[in-house]
Amino acid sequence: MAFDANTLRAQFPILQLEANDHPLVYLDNAATTQKPQAVLDALMAYYTTSNANVHRGAHYLSDRATAQFEHARDRVARFINAADSDHVIWTKGTTESINLVAYGLEWCLKPDDEILITSLEHHANLVPWQQLAFRTGARLRVLPLTSKGEWEPEYERYFNEHTRIFACTQISNAIGVKTPIKEMLAAAKAVKAFTLVDGAQAVAHYPVDVQDLDCDFYVFSGHKMYAPTGIGVLYGKPHALEVLTPVQTGGEMVRHVTYNSTEFNVLPYRLEAGTPNIEGVIGMTAACDFLANQDRTAMIEWEQKLARYVYDELKFNTSIEIYSPAVDTTVVSLSVPGIHTLDLNGYLDSQGVAVRAGSHCAHPLMAQLGVSSTLRASFACYNTLSEARRFCDVLLEAIEILGDD
Amino acid sequence: MTDLTRDAIQTRLQACTSKETTFKELVSLSKQLERLTDADKTEENKVKGCESAVWLIEHQDNGVCTFQADSDAKLMRGVLVAILSLANGRTKTELQAMDLATELSQFNLSSYLTSSRTNGILGILKQIQT
Repeated sequence: MAFDANTLRAQFPILQLEANDHPLVYLDNAATTQKPQAVLDALMAYYTTSNANVHRGAHYLSDRATAQFEHARDRVARFINAADSDHVIWTKGTTESINLVAYGLEWCLKPDDEILITSLEHHANLVPWQQLAFRTGARLRVLPLTSKGEWEPEYERYFNEHTRIFACTQISNAIGVKTPIKEMLAAAKAVKAFTLVDGAQAVAHYPVDVQDLDCDFYVFSGHKMYAPTGIGVLYGKPHALEVLTPVQTGGEMVRHVTYNSTEFNVLPYRLEAGTPNIEGVIGMTAACDFLANQDRTAMIEWEQKLARYVYDELKFNTSIEIYSPAVDTTVVSLSVPGIHTLDLNGYLDSQGVAVRAGSHCAHPLMAQLGVSSTLRASFACYNTLSEARRFCDVLLEAIEILGDD
Repeated sequence: MTDLTRDAIQTRLQACTSKETTFKELVSLSKQLERLTDADKTEENKVKGCESAVWLIEHQDNGVCTFQADSDAKLMRGVLVAILSLANGRTKTELQAMDLATELSQFNLSSYLTSSRTNGILGILKQIQT
């Protein structure tokens, strides 16, 4: 399979837009990716041919909707190489997935227990654990990964007999660096901690194999992998999902209810209270198919090539500090000391270039880097070399306009 | 504080026909802002909830308000020049009777104002009226 970004772009209608009188250059893919026509078609087809509530059966449309809904579970299970589709729980996104685990495991924590995260986490993989620690008296500990994401032998000591939960991102959303996930998971498993991997920044780029990772939980969002917004996944090993206390209760997740008692349904339904985001789930099938139809190796090489181009163009510019690694990333996160990233972003936006300026929901990491915010360009499969070049050109213009006093 | 009147600022911003020209005009206006000293940039003077850091100081002389403001972002300093031109020289009662957000929208800053809830401009206007 040949990979050609220019051909691929044609599948994304939104990329034809102009923004502020300039061709849109969309480089905010780590926040959300655009959607291919196949995903848009799947949503339209659902509403025009299959719209009904799921699992309530008894009529033609409901049967169709339920079949597509459960097919999507199979599709996502295959996409991440889960052993069984019952290991896939639908959520509204990564944040909800992590919260389901953080509340669902509350019963197993007591004072003196430890929850371990790393210093590269998004707030979504920090605040739920911090609040869990507050509620239970457990300690939140932070493994101090450098911005290069290197594993140090001394990190072993963070994994000890008190460690109950280890939660870590696979790739930093703020700076795009990969974490030494396998080494860390091995250390966490050696002390029998529950393990959760935040795959939000990985799924669109790298093939994911949850059995190979061998983590207890793996979480991600649809909107960052070409699927609709408002759908996400909590993958769990059966024994891990089994011990989660359902955070939300109500319809769909029950088998029998009286005024005095409720018998919960089996997995995966036990953790899916209420009517789910059916269109989002069906969109996930189309997004997984879209990714599976690409040459994934060529695709990631292309995305990394774009980031590398920007890195190389800017690395010798003395007014720019780059926080992302030179290689093996799809993100370039940078700052220009003396110029506010919001001002840089304002100029880029005026030229049709969409990036992200801010703390990227990672205040502690920003503090570690010694900045209050960065400007982040993040690439997806449909970006082109001329877009990467345009980002560099417009950024340099912005520095010239804004740096004159 | 600035030497430019509200009308002059409004005319300059209304002449902008694109996001790019508005951006450049705001950068140019930002130079009119009298900067605060570091001593005045205290936590207490900081307006809560702004994306960039914004400080606001109020003085009253015989009931007439004068505001000084500053930000670490240039675009915001440009917007502050516009806001101060609306607010300075009025009494609290006058300010409270004004719909500052609507008045500010007449400066052709709509794309900056649509995100005013997140960028903190609404918070600045509220503080001016309180």
